[in-house]
Amino acid sequence: MQTSLLSKVTNDKPSHMSDNINHPQLCEWLNAVANSRDKKAFTQLFKFFGPKIHGIARGKFPNEAQASEVVQETMSNVWRKSHLFDKDKGAATTWVYTVMRNVTFDMLRKIKGNKEDNLSDDIWPIAESMVSDDESFDDHLENKQLLTVIEKLPEAQQEVVKGFYFMEMSQEQLAEHLKLPLGTIKSRLRLALAKLKVQLGEDND
Amino acid sequence: MIKHHPKIELIQAFVDGDLPASLSAGIAMHAEMCSQCQQKIVQLTEHAAEVSFEEAFLDKFIVDDTSTIMSDSDSDDIDFEAMAELISQSNDIDIPEPALDKSIVFNDKTYKLPKALNNMPMSKISNIGKLSRARLQLDENEIHTSLLQIEAGGGVPEHTHKGFELTLLLDGSFHDESGEYVKGDFIMLDGSHQHHPVSKEGCLCYTVANDALHFTQGINKLLNPIGSFIY
Repeated sequence: MQTSLLSKVTNDKPSHMSDNINHPQLCEWLNAVANSRDKKAFTQLFKFFGPKIHGIARGKFPNEAQASEVVQETMSNVWRKSHLFDKDKGAATTWVYTVMRNVTFDMLRKIKGNKEDNLSDDIWPIAESMVSDDESFDDHLENKQLLTVIEKLPEAQQEVVKGFYFMEMSQEQLAEHLKLPLGTIKSRLRLALAKLKVQLGEDND
Repeated sequence: MIKHHPKIELIQAFVDGDLPASLSAGIAMHAEMCSQCQQKIVQLTEHAAEVSFEEAFLDKFIVDDTSTIMSDSDSDDIDFEAMAELISQSNDIDIPEPALDKSIVFNDKTYKLPKALNNMPMSKISNIGKLSRARLQLDENEIHTSLLQIEAGGGVPEHTHKGFELTLLLDGSFHDESGEYVKGDFIMLDGSHQHHPVSKEGCLCYTVANDALHFTQGINKLLNPIGSFIY
């Protein structure tokens, strides 16, 4: 006897980019959140995604409070994990979908089985989802070189990382050299390191 | 070479987040070893995202379905801007912990644990003959999930399944009446199959089954009580 999940019928349409979504705009907002913690961009993202996530969650959860929690939790993750988004690996919609699906999965497991184990990020890793190029399946040796990875960072972050690690400037010296507040240097360095850690971890599999 | 893959319907359900954790992890581990299925997952995820976030998606609901008119007015009650404001007050960012390389030891052989299993609680290993099993404690009612090691020369007596049985080969190889299976093969069987897997060189499998095995032949029928041990 087959179980229902084995015989489930789905629409298997070819994937395509829709004209109804302004992908470059969403991508820009998400990068603005990642690189400069841009609150206005985040509000725009929220206006776009919030109502849609809410509608989808209403279909999966029995009550309104839970649907709101999915919106809250998904968008919090978008705010806190935006630096893990990589526009070269896929659309902003795909990334937010992954975040939403993971939040939903963990919440449903919690409601059904009272399990707070948060397995979703192990099953669908946020940082390395949506690898659509073939290179990730090739030899990783080349990519292991730190510099290649650093060069993938946004320019503002590259500048700080290179200054700090290769020219061995202090954060204070960098602030002076780049004519930026010390806080900006610190936060750029922190964002860059977070991104590098992910990238290198990925390549060291 | 990997010859056995999850069906597209199963991959779709995986992408939608509709499968139990046990099967989701099985597909994730298979995709890590199979670039072909990894590609399918990427495409289906892109597509699912498109469909979910198209403006038309919500509009369609508002017109078609009275219950979602309700949910739309619900969502009108929500002050998305205030939520955005509250969330963005925090300066914290999430730095993912570097993926740990965990391993598991069966009878002095060490295996690298696939990432998908990193945080799943596991029972102690129990043994019968050349079979060793560690149960993954996912609490999914009738669905039982395990890591099963077959030592070289060992096998599982001929059996059938009342429900489904997924075997994902994580290491080594085995063969049954239908042929040879290698690392990465994703083998989904249901009650219409009978088989008698034997492993010459030994293997480690990830297994998910929603009912006990049922041994079908001669003296092995006496083994039925251990059917529930293995899966």
